[in-house]
This record gives sequence, structure tokens and C-alpha cells, in this order.
Amino acid sequence: MSYVAIKGGSEAIRSSKTFFRDMIHHAEGIGDKELQKGLIFSCDRIMGEGGLYSEKLAAEAIRRTGGDLLEAAFYMRAHRSTCRRVGDAETLNCGSMRLLRRISSAFKDIEGGQILGPSCDYVIRLFHGNLQEEEDNSLKVDSMTGPLPSAVDSMRLRDQVIVLPNHEDSPHDVSRSFPLPPYTRSSLMQVMSRGETGAMLAFAYTSMRGYGDVHPTIGDLRIGYIEVKFTHPFTGKKVKVGEIRVTACESIGSFNRDPGDGKLRLSTGFGFCLGFNETKAIAMSILDMAMHHKGYSVGGVDIASNPEIIIHHVDGIESMGFTNHFKLPHYVTFQADLHVLERAKEMTDE
Amino acid sequence: MNKQTFAFMDEDAKKEIRRSLLKAVALPGYTVPFASREMPVARGWGTGGLQITLSIILEQDVLKVIDQGCDGSVNAVNMRGFITSVTGVESVTETSRSTIIQTRHRIPEQELTEDHILVFQVPYPEVLTTVEPDTAQQKRMHGDGDYSKLWVLLYEDTSQFGDSRISNRYPVQVDGHYVMDPSPIPKYDIPRMDNSPALQLFGAGREKRIYAIPPYTEVKPLKFDDREFKVESFGNICCERCGASGVFFDEVRIGSDKHFFCSDTEFCDGNRGEEHVS
Repeated sequence: MSYVAIKGGSEAIRSSKTFFRDMIHHAEGIGDKELQKGLIFSCDRIMGEGGLYSEKLAAEAIRRTGGDLLEAAFYMRAHRSTCRRVGDAETLNCGSMRLLRRISSAFKDIEGGQILGPSCDYVIRLFHGNLQEEEDNSLKVDSMTGPLPSAVDSMRLRDQVIVLPNHEDSPHDVSRSFPLPPYTRSSLMQVMSRGETGAMLAFAYTSMRGYGDVHPTIGDLRIGYIEVKFTHPFTGKKVKVGEIRVTACESIGSFNRDPGDGKLRLSTGFGFCLGFNETKAIAMSILDMAMHHKGYSVGGVDIASNPEIIIHHVDGIESMGFTNHFKLPHYVTFQADLHVLERAKEMTDE
Repeated sequence: MNKQTFAFMDEDAKKEIRRSLLKAVALPGYTVPFASREMPVARGWGTGGLQITLSIILEQDVLKVIDQGCDGSVNAVNMRGFITSVTGVESVTETSRSTIIQTRHRIPEQELTEDHILVFQVPYPEVLTTVEPDTAQQKRMHGDGDYSKLWVLLYEDTSQFGDSRISNRYPVQVDGHYVMDPSPIPKYDIPRMDNSPALQLFGAGREKRIYAIPPYTEVKPLKFDDREFKVESFGNICCERCGASGVFFDEVRIGSDKHFFCSDTEFCDGNRGEEHVS
């Protein structure tokens, strides 16, 4: 009988890392431009989930992870810990966005019109065939319009939409302290804005698919560029820091009595994330609606409308970390498990 | 690999869907499971309707595709482009000339005939989902004809709001038996499903279900005996383009003004004696 000690860890780790680098070394040849411009949706996704807007680092993260987007978001989040917090930017107003695309499924005709913009919605997903070889009409993507108000604003002006009460003087910062129940809307929105796209999608889908009953109409979905403004720490003047790509979605849900005055009004939900990621923004607007207008829909079993579930489960970095930790040795705890099993067996055999 | 099959899907797939359709027609309102294929458009964009259309379409068919009543709407244009590119069939906007009409959310205003097949794109085939998410339980409830949870929902809404809050996909009972989801058509279109001379087929790709209403079949909305089934009413409004009244309208707001136009754009063009351009 041989005894195999689990030692020699450093050498094993060194080799493992070499193997991994070897496996993805071709990524080194992919340039920043190819990643930032060509894989724009991958970059945007990890900037959003990583909670850090840097196209350069996003490209680097993709290179270093062989395109594993959860891992890449993790790089962004880890790097974030090294960045000093300078302060809060001015609140962004989505109405001031320079728009690339803006659609409404609720209204046929909206101020500023439906702008289909760049979208893969109408691409026929075929590797072969002539459908995608439609003639190049040389439209340039940089043609933009705006600013335009949300298409839902017209309903707000007519007092048809419920306004959520605001109990917060300033928004909670989830990156500085994790919120405690009852969760404020600002904290839920922040956690979701950094949430993992797949997780958000799955939770939102439960509400559409049977465990809840949110079937939203998209009032205003937009992608575009928005200026970030900041008060200069020395001069005290407002300065434009730069421009970021963002996605915003406002959805309209079912109606009920407004708890404020008992009048019937429609519910809405809002989703917002860094970068172009329509699926996530829509999912977020559905979750926002499910959580804050609980009881507006009929479904009995709730997942998506439970803030306790959503706030603890949508973060991809956290859930990936815990899931992957199972790869660590569990010899001791498992040994203990076996002992308990043996003991139980003895008891039940008696 | 280079030569594509007529109507995209392989012959076995189309045959399987046709067999599910036959079963669906034999059991009006019953949802038949089928092996829904991946289509080159996203699930939820009408892949159920698309698969039905592609399974039944013949070279001599004349295709019409509408979305929200409109032939020119982006999704309709895209679907039509795909179907014609893989079949080569003629496509038209005129309801009267078409043989297969694939639709999302509307039934054409013009009366359909025995020569029409209406194919609905369905997001939710299961009428019980909102009140009972468990699939096995749903099946039992359909078997027992137990629609009590739906009746309770109708009752709760009626007692609070005077009527059901369901604005579209209002539950209907087919041939006095199965209660089914009529796909998200407005209430206005529900009475037009009843006793229709056209065959009505429903395809839900994401949910992998097919169901049907054979021609001349009774379709009745679930409703309490002492409550009238009220469809959307537009009062005395006439279409600003063609002057039609008593049809389903799109409400368009320009500034603070409300404008009304026929939701069925081909019907509207027909009233004006115009050829439809999509």
C-alpha cells in the first residue's frame, strides 16, 4: 500500500498555469482594436458585469481569459479594487443620450420615431445562404440622433403611470456596504446593473414563464452614448469626463390601484447597464417591475419578485466563485461526511 | 450542404409537424407536444408559426405574413423574406389572394374563407400557466376539465375592476371542451375565431406545442353568464386614412393629438382602392 501525500503544490500550480497560458496563447495575437471594435458585445458585457468602464482593460481581460467572459468580468472587478474612489458623477439623464437605436413596442408612433439602428434582431442565423449577403448600402453606424425623452414620458405626463415613492436622500453604494433588508430600490438597481446577464435573464424569465406573471411591453429601449459629468475637485466646476456606451430600458406592466391615492395606474420597470446589452437591460426592467409592483400580476409562486432572492443571486462573480470553490480539496469535510454516514448505517442496521 | 431542402427543414421534421397538426385538428384546442426545431430566427420571434408554415406550404401556395395587422412591419417582412427565400412561393399582401396567412397578434379584417389557413405565432400555448405553473398539474386540470382557477381569476378581477384585466390572449373554450390560449389577439378578434370557415393553426416554438381550431368550430370566451363579453370599443371613430369604422384601430399620438388608423393596413389600402406597398 502506497501513501500519496498531497504535496508539491507550488510546482503543480506553476505547471497548471503554464498549461493554461499555453492553451490560450493564441489570444495574445488579437489586438485591442479587434477586441474592442469587433467583439464589442463581449467587451460591453464584462464592463457592465465588472462594474468598470474601460474598453482597454476589457480587451486585456478577454485576452487573459481566453474569452471566458465570467472570468474576464472578474478581472475587471478585481482591478476595480485598486482604483481610488474620486467621488460621485452627476446623475445621468437617459433623455440626454445620443441615440444609435431606440425602439418602443408599446407605441407605434413616438416622438423622434422608431430608430432600428444596429441590431441582430433581423439577422437570419444561417452560416450558408444568400440572405446575409444583402447589398451594402454604405450606411454608417455613427449617424445618431437625440437627445429624446423616453416614450413613456407621455404617459407619465397624463398621470397614467405609478410613481414609486423615494425614501432615499442619496443612493446606497453597494460597492462600499452591502445592503440590508428592506432593500432600497437604489441598492437593488445597482446590484442588478452589475448582475450577470445569464442569471438576470433566467430570473426574469421565471416571471414570464409561469412563476410570476410579468409580461412587459417595452415602452422605450435605447442604446447610445451619454456624457459623464463630474464636479472638478479643485476648480469646483462641472466638467465632462467622457462619454460611455449604455443601454436603458423602460418597460410597462399591468395596472392596479396606486397605493398612494387608490387610482388605477400602470406599473413600470427600469433597466440600465454599461455597454450595449439589451437582453440584460430588458431582464432588469422586468425584475425591477416584479419586485416593486408585487401583487400587480396574477402568478402565485414568486421568485423574481423576491428581493431577497434577486439581490443575493444575480452577481456572476460571486456565484461563479462559490460554484468553482468546489474544485478545492474537501478531504476533511468529506471524511467527516463519511463518518456520519457510517454511524448512521450502524444505527439503522441495529 | 449547399442545396437546401424546399422550405428549409428536412422532410422528416416537416412530416412530424404535419402529424402533430393532424392530431391537433382532431382534438380541437388540445395542445400537442412537438419536437420544435431551432430556426434561424430567435425563439420567441415566431418560430412556432414559422415551422407550421414551412411544414404545410406547397409550391402553389400564396403567402401573406402580418404582424399586428401590418404586412410592412419589420418582423413580418423578415419572416416573409425568409419563407419566400427557402420556398420560392409567391407572397402577397391581399388577404383575398392568399392561401396561407401567418400572423402575429391579429386576424385580418376581411372575412376568411375555406381556402385560407391562418397560422398563429404563439408565445404562450398554455392557458393555465398564469394560475398554475406546474406542467403535470396543468395536464391533469385539462383532463378533468377543471378550470376553476381561471374562473377564480376572472371573478377576482371582475369584483375589483368590473371586468377581467386580461386585455389580450383571453381564454376561450373550444368546441365545449378544452380551454385554450388564443394567442395574443385583442378581444375584438375573439368572436371572429368562432365558427370560422378557415382552418386556424397555432404554433408555439419555444414552448414546443401545436394546437388547432378546425373550420366551423365553436369558440367561446370564458365569461360569467350574467356578464357580457366586451370587445375593445372605439366608439364612433373612423380611420383617418380610409374612413372605415367598426374595425380594430391603431391609436397614434402626434403631439397631444390622438389619431386613429386601421390596424389591418392591407384592409385600409383596399378601402382606398390602393395597392398595398409594404
